[in-house]
Amino acid sequence: MNSDDRRQRFEAVAPAVIDAVRRYLARRTDQATADDVLQETLLVCWRRFDEMPAVEPLPWAYGVARNCLANAERSRRRQGRLLTRIWQLDPPGTVTAGPELPDDELSTALSALRTEDAELLRLWAWEELSTGQIAVVLGVSANAVSIRLHRAKQRLRDEMRKLGTSAGHEELKEGRRP
Amino acid sequence: MTDDDDLRSRLRRADPAAGMTPIAPDRASRLVENTMNTTTEAAPRRNAQLGTLAAAALVLIAAVGGWFLLRPQDSKPTTPVAAPTFTDIKAPGIAAKCVEPTADRLKTAADFAFAGTVTAVEGSTVTLKVTKIYRGAATDQVRVAQTGDVSETLLGSGKFETGQDYLVAASQGNMLICGYSGEAGSQGLSGLYDAAF
Repeated sequence: MNSDDRRQRFEAVAPAVIDAVRRYLARRTDQATADDVLQETLLVCWRRFDEMPAVEPLPWAYGVARNCLANAERSRRRQGRLLTRIWQLDPPGTVTAGPELPDDELSTALSALRTEDAELLRLWAWEELSTGQIAVVLGVSANAVSIRLHRAKQRLRDEMRKLGTSAGHEELKEGRRP
Repeated sequence: MTDDDDLRSRLRRADPAAGMTPIAPDRASRLVENTMNTTTEAAPRRNAQLGTLAAAALVLIAAVGGWFLLRPQDSKPTTPVAAPTFTDIKAPGIAAKCVEPTADRLKTAADFAFAGTVTAVEGSTVTLKVTKIYRGAATDQVRVAQTGDVSETLLGSGKFETGQDYLVAASQGNMLICGYSGEAGSQGLSGLYDAAF
């Protein structure tokens, strides 16, 4: 494969990857981190372009973005240790990063779940991936995804029930809190 | 599965990226352009004039920080030249895959080969006193300008040490690594030189 050909093929697939990864990151982190991680994700995609599946590149690209985001968060936590003392005096409001959801109950229920469970649900509902595709993102078997996703849905329902709402009947109770 | 559907649609309604506007096309193409250029620039580059500095009694060899067959052509952008195995452009130093060295390849690739003893190592420059020329113009001393992490790909101890004997081959001013240069006592190396020249 010559390098011009490689560039052309990357240019062809990049817009879809950029669009999908931007959304993926907007759902999980703040704007500044999202911008950095998007560029980093593209670099990794370009460097490992030969490994990118030709038919369905997005789940693979999400997997790359996921790792890049984890790296960015790790390095931020390292920097954050310097601020620990300040935080002890003036603790930050939330522990988890990421955008606020317009649905408070759902947001509370999601944050009560284990990180892995919440991520499965996001990939399922927001990225609209099948269990097979989620398996590619996370690097586990489709069978494992299927079992864990089922449990995660159950746990989310349980959390919502605890909060006095039901996922099955939210139409009756819908309404955003002021 | 209607419970699932309800749960999914409730989650979807809360999707933080739902109202996101698509990226501006020019920003997207800038991103793509940056990406491809950043990686290319990281590929090993070489000093263009080193290859022409072959003085009468002093030959300069620039040891390339990558596999010799993959080195960029001087004065051209960094595109890999024909190589028998596929290697990513960015592969730095010893991450590049080396094919098993053969006398045939050494014979074809090397335009200069000699046996010598290291007399000095100063910074990144290694000076060798030539004891035998296998191929190329006769010379008394050879200076090797080491760039990058090339030392680890030398056979034997992995780097030039004063007082040690080495067999070194070069092509157009670039030292051949990947099992073609190294300590004279390294297994198979002198046999390789005898077979090739």
